[in-house]
Amino acid sequence: MGTMSEVVTSRPPTFEKKSSTSQAALHDKQRQTEAAQSKEKYDVHIESQLQPVEGFGPYFKLIPASGQVKELQTIIRDRNTSRSDFKFYADRLIRLVVEEGLNQLPYSDCTITTPTGCQYQGLQFVKGNCGVSIVRSGEAMEQGLRSCCRSIRLGKILVESDLETHEARVVYAKFPDDISQRKVLLMYPIMSSGNTVIKAVNVLQEHAVAEENIILLNLFSTPAAARTITTVFPKMHILTSEVHPVAPNHFGQKYFGTD
Amino acid sequence: MSGRFKQDPPSSASSDSGGEETATRQMEDEESTTDIGEMEGSHPTSPRPPSAGPHPQTPTQGALRSPRSRRQRTTSQSQPSRSREPILRGRRRTIYTAGRPPWYDCQGQLVEPFVIGVCGGSASGKTTVARKIIEELDVPWVTLLSLDSFYKVLSEKQHEEAARNEYNFDHPDAFDFELVAKTLLRLKEGKKVEVPIYNFVTHRRETKTKTMYGANVIIFEGILAFYSPDVLKLLDMKVFVDTDSDERLVRRLQRDIAERGRELDGVLKQYFKFVKPAFDYYIAPSMVHADIIVPRGGENEVAINLIAQNVMTQLQQRGFKLREKLANANFGIARPNSLHLLPSTPQIRGLHTFIRNKDTPRDEFIFYSKRLIRLVIEHALTLLPFTQDVTVETPQGIPYEGKRIATEKICGVSILRAGETMENALCEVLKDVRIGKILIQTNLDTGEPELYYLRLPKDIKDYHIFLMDATVATGAAAIMAIRVLLDHEVTEEHISLCSLLMTEQGVHNIAYAFPKVRIVTTAVDPCVNEKFYIVPGIGNFGDRYFGTEPSDQ
Repeated sequence: MGTMSEVVTSRPPTFEKKSSTSQAALHDKQRQTEAAQSKEKYDVHIESQLQPVEGFGPYFKLIPASGQVKELQTIIRDRNTSRSDFKFYADRLIRLVVEEGLNQLPYSDCTITTPTGCQYQGLQFVKGNCGVSIVRSGEAMEQGLRSCCRSIRLGKILVESDLETHEARVVYAKFPDDISQRKVLLMYPIMSSGNTVIKAVNVLQEHAVAEENIILLNLFSTPAAARTITTVFPKMHILTSEVHPVAPNHFGQKYFGTD
Repeated sequence: MSGRFKQDPPSSASSDSGGEETATRQMEDEESTTDIGEMEGSHPTSPRPPSAGPHPQTPTQGALRSPRSRRQRTTSQSQPSRSREPILRGRRRTIYTAGRPPWYDCQGQLVEPFVIGVCGGSASGKTTVARKIIEELDVPWVTLLSLDSFYKVLSEKQHEEAARNEYNFDHPDAFDFELVAKTLLRLKEGKKVEVPIYNFVTHRRETKTKTMYGANVIIFEGILAFYSPDVLKLLDMKVFVDTDSDERLVRRLQRDIAERGRELDGVLKQYFKFVKPAFDYYIAPSMVHADIIVPRGGENEVAINLIAQNVMTQLQQRGFKLREKLANANFGIARPNSLHLLPSTPQIRGLHTFIRNKDTPRDEFIFYSKRLIRLVIEHALTLLPFTQDVTVETPQGIPYEGKRIATEKICGVSILRAGETMENALCEVLKDVRIGKILIQTNLDTGEPELYYLRLPKDIKDYHIFLMDATVATGAAAIMAIRVLLDHEVTEEHISLCSLLMTEQGVHNIAYAFPKVRIVTTAVDPCVNEKFYIVPGIGNFGDRYFGTEPSDQ
């Protein structure tokens, strides 16, 4: 830890005062002192920007709110948005949620050498993750995940609600064989009751996936669904962009153009 | 048609003779040889100044260009000569004529150009003097403005007179001095100017104009350079070239008859009817305004030496050696408020680990840097004002209180080459976004940044600009690019500088020079090494991304 490169927000810059000394000498000195300095002084403190949402437990988090995110949500909810715009901006919001979701994955420290011959104290994500989308609207998020992790394994679950009983039941599920050993990024953009997600998590649990190894990536959730899910699965990580009483249920229809 | 030929010594008249001509002709200075091969070697994108590009010409450049076999001036001489030669080897040094070195000090503030006015009778050797001054000066960038460009547009009747050699091109009324003063003033402020290109065949201004910027030194030359009081006020130094009238007549005769194939009678008639009276009435009396009178024109080495020394003294107070100064500038500890560093999340550090690793294959380097770029752009977008509240109809029938972006006008400007890698990400988040480009290269000899190429949307001043460069070391290139944008009247608050990696120095230099520019980056490294690479850094981002690393590595 603590090569010169760890310039995170909280680190006091210490080198510019010496900038008049020769760069090479400075360089060597840094390398020598780097080990000593690092541990105690410059331990990288990576803190997530995500804040838990009050009332839904410690693992239910929102991506950082900004005017920008709000605009994306506005466009997605607007009934007058054209399909092309809808898909474009939905993909952007998905990408933001996916990027934040990846931050929840485990990593380990490592040191690499840069082309200038210096050491950089970086980190490496632990292998053994996979994505699982809930058919159909969850599949809209697969591309966003694949844009970040090119070769990630993807499982699928098809949950249908029975037209008569309104009960969700699993029709189809296909996962990587060793899913129980993996962290699972479960993708489902809209939660209005939460029933579909509960069914899907149940299936994952049947495949021996631990609750705490599931990260649910979601765009819009109702407070009711948030409450239900965090009650049933208190240890599951949940990431969403907005909790709002009205869920934009047209998402899948409009994204895939079947409205 | 007297004025048409009277004031261009052979060295400058060739500047307009059409870029297609390739036959070279050794002009009076046997020292000047062109050497573009070396220049091209050091600059991946070899500068080819387009006719409307920001490439002011030095008068010396004109001297290198090939005249047509029949010398026939068709346009004014401060027109861009679509030159093939970006540099010129002088006796002692190299004069760069294509790239634009910094024209502001290390705080990003404009350095007022030094304006030299050169006046003198027709064929007195004004351009030779101007050129020798430039050679004496150790100044890399010079703009030559010629009074020729400012001839008034002729009416139908005057046009006919001109055809019969009966229009007086030597009279002050033939020039638009108001425009001269306006142009010089803007050049002095470092602003972009559109200099008219005068067509001597149609006696009209061409629809195209020549774009010029203020330089370290601006030389304004012309027979009536000291005529207008408004123009006089703008000249920092006034040089009058006083050549004996017999000698000037001889030169004119030689030039017009031998080189332009005109008749002796016509030339003499023109001389006595217009050229000589104009000299006696308007040009010679303006000598009183001169600070220095140079007898014998260009041969007068002593006078030129004195002038150059004086100019140098003035210029030395005006911050050159920009990048070195930037690298060594000392700043306080606190990070400026205009710096918006992305939160150092595991993803961002993980992406940095990939792209900083020298062993990362290009395929992965591209993929992971693209991801990082996307995050920077998204973050920069969140910093724009999104103040506009709107209520939209939803398919669920319940109105939704949302927000819309306050400005539609966002434009990306990438600093070639590494900045181009970020364009795609901008297009991915903003539909149909406009993209401008700026090419800034480091001059390998001086280590200074130089401006080579510029394409920006016309109404760029109304836009929010995302200025993109992958890495910012000393900030020299970014400061130059910001300066260019400001010269195009972009509002400083409307500029966001987006990059993947910066140095402490770069951040401070830019924030100090332009406190209102938003700086968005994913990491800040402590310093640069002696090659101006960031350490620990990423290496040469452009080379790694485009796969143009030197083969010995």
